[in-house]
Amino acid sequence: MAGEKTGPLSGVRVADFSVHAAGPFAGLMLAELGAQVIKIESSARLDITRRPHTMYGKPPSSFEQVNANKLSVTLNLKEPRAVELARELVRVSDMVLENFRPGVLDRLGLGFDRLKQVKRDLLMVSLSSNGQTGPERGYSGYAPMFAAAGGLGYLTGYPGGPPVELRHAMDHTGGLMGALCAVAALCGKAPLSRERAGNGKAGEAGEDRGIHLDVSVRDVATAFIGPALMDFAMNGREQTPQGNGNGAAAPHGVYRCAGEGAWVSIAVTTEREWQCLRRALADPAWANEPSFGDGYQRWLHREELDRKVEAWTLERTPWEATNLLQAEGVAAFPSMSADQLMADPHLAARGAFPEITHPEKGRQRGVAPPWRFTGTPARLDRWTSSLGEDNDAVFHGILGVPFEEVRALQEAKVIW
Amino acid sequence: MTLDATNHSQRPLAGLRVLEVADNVAGPYCGKLLASLGAEVVKAEPPRSGDSSRRQGPFPGDAPHPERSGLFLYLNTGKRGVTLDLNDPQGRVVMRDLAANADVIFHDRQPPEIESQGLDTETLAQANPDLIVASVTPYGNSGPYAGYRAYDVNVFHAGGEGNLLPNGLALDTFPDRAPLVAGSQMGSYQGGLTAALGVVAAVYARANGAPAQAVDCSMQEAQLSLGYVPIQRLEAEGIVEDRFSRYFRVGGTLPAQDGYVELLTLEPRQWESLARMLDYPDWATAERFQNPGEYGPEINAHLRKWSSAHTKDWLYREAQAHGVPFGPYLSPGEVFHSEQQRQRGLYVEVDHPSAGRLEYVGPPFRFGDGPDLLGRAPLLGEHNRAVYEGLGYSPMDIVELARAGVV
Repeated sequence: MAGEKTGPLSGVRVADFSVHAAGPFAGLMLAELGAQVIKIESSARLDITRRPHTMYGKPPSSFEQVNANKLSVTLNLKEPRAVELARELVRVSDMVLENFRPGVLDRLGLGFDRLKQVKRDLLMVSLSSNGQTGPERGYSGYAPMFAAAGGLGYLTGYPGGPPVELRHAMDHTGGLMGALCAVAALCGKAPLSRERAGNGKAGEAGEDRGIHLDVSVRDVATAFIGPALMDFAMNGREQTPQGNGNGAAAPHGVYRCAGEGAWVSIAVTTEREWQCLRRALADPAWANEPSFGDGYQRWLHREELDRKVEAWTLERTPWEATNLLQAEGVAAFPSMSADQLMADPHLAARGAFPEITHPEKGRQRGVAPPWRFTGTPARLDRWTSSLGEDNDAVFHGILGVPFEEVRALQEAKVIW
Repeated sequence: MTLDATNHSQRPLAGLRVLEVADNVAGPYCGKLLASLGAEVVKAEPPRSGDSSRRQGPFPGDAPHPERSGLFLYLNTGKRGVTLDLNDPQGRVVMRDLAANADVIFHDRQPPEIESQGLDTETLAQANPDLIVASVTPYGNSGPYAGYRAYDVNVFHAGGEGNLLPNGLALDTFPDRAPLVAGSQMGSYQGGLTAALGVVAAVYARANGAPAQAVDCSMQEAQLSLGYVPIQRLEAEGIVEDRFSRYFRVGGTLPAQDGYVELLTLEPRQWESLARMLDYPDWATAERFQNPGEYGPEINAHLRKWSSAHTKDWLYREAQAHGVPFGPYLSPGEVFHSEQQRQRGLYVEVDHPSAGRLEYVGPPFRFGDGPDLLGRAPLLGEHNRAVYEGLGYSPMDIVELARAGVV
């Protein structure tokens, strides 16, 4: 759009072979940051998220946002000519993004070593369950399994209860890590500071050898439990799930409020915050009891304390409680559902749900990129392309394949 | 393993000078990631008390010590450390000098500290017009909740994810309990990771000719971005999901002899493989699987009974050999001994002058050249002299600042 500022990754082109959730989310982040992301799919094997869901029956709306802002092309990679076109796309792209099981792209003739022949300084970002190496590299999995095997699932749950499955957000977190590494790798080819430009180091990181980035989503889950692993390394202790609690401070939890399914989170970890809480609660008599006399006593008697706090929240809505507590500087916030989030004045003021045009449904709201850049804005501005919508723009417009040939290849089920 | 200067310089962000003014988990995780990617990160902590994570455990032998907190040691690998009191006018002068010599500063300060500590974009841009100024805060730098206090539990519930947890077995077991935050302060790590991507994107833009700029990252919006699915279900389908409606009708968390496993068959061929593994019992027919609304509870009762009779490891290996997506719920100790992750070199030994030698989890990514090196966390004020002398302060100046309690 003329006159509008472009995103920070403007000019970067991504050949995105990824499907399902983790890889496509990495692509979404890059696309929101202004990269041109070309999603390569095939009618021969649709992205699972374009198909009706096995469990829910219809195509889930999860496909919609995760593939927004991207161009859609189709290539039937069982056809040699399609593989050639894929290599051509890689040649004119700044990176390749994929999340097949290790070995799948090699078999298609699109593995790292093969693609390096068409692009010497290839940057390939591979996301997978368990990584490209190790005895479990070929194991299949979905988000809850990465979180489970990585240790984050075990530490999520009520004390003494079973572990809890973490879903899309885990996939997407893996994709986010992949996007971070990818942009860092791009930075590795640029002069990052005056100093480095002077040293002539720019480009050293990958110009000759190419970079194959290997991100294991299971390892991402493990990186998030680093402190629990420190405890194991230091003390041989197995940490266990804490619910909404805190291993050393109280009150710290989610409390029932007036109304159906209404909850507020409250966290107090310092003496100062305890005094603020007392003020917010109009200094009830029970707060003077010796069993709540200091931080350690409050933690020891946290169950009793939780009951006292909940007796107060039960008489208020989550927002009434939040407003009284925040007015005194106590960390508190309602446990928000999707409809509450979409009606929230703060998120509206920050433009967290931009409206974009959906080809069939008209104006539709999506979730904004999670940053506000003052100079090079990130944005969600184009809804998900239909399958193969951008075949002409990419194969003709970018690769220069004549229209007649694009048509012929479509009929031959190569571009398909 | 200590930091190897040769290898370090080949990492993608080598040469990038980053200043961190951030406490506890979210901001420090952003800095840790940037350091893992090769940036030179200087962390500024308040004099005397330091980062609040220094006072939180775990500690070796449960003996509190500001240089031995596992939380601090883990979240601050690879950084240099200085002390600086930003509530003191002299401290803010030093901050301007630090900012003048950095490529990036990121902080986690909300109003009113953001102004009173001199971390507002205008003040910092005056010190260095080429500086990228990033912030990672619970609700962002603008809007009615910008000044709201928050801990991880608040942000996770503010972003909508908390309201959707738990599902499946945990919810069946405790249907009356409150919606649940993810373990290990996951939302704070997600916030730090999101901020790190914002920072490197701005770095990339600047390297390609865009002016330096400010990047405002809201942890609540990071949750929304990562957890957009329920927002889309509402917008596109009019369905408000909650933890009671959002669960896997078949499979999910299952009990095992020695813990729990996760089963997820999203494709019919995976269910077919599971049926084969179970030797085709009546209750596992494809027709029933395709009608989870009706048969889900019965199928799950059978699955739970079957899985309880086997170990996690047996279920994992056997199911994966059959092409059935199964995963074990591993405890921290089991994760620490994971052969898969050990063979990938995920654990790295780090020596620290006070905490000693310990194995840490390394970065969850590989740039194709073997195990990553991991520098240790700094002692409180360890690099005051090196960093401040680098800015042109004399040893006497530094002594004066220390005497005034500024560093």
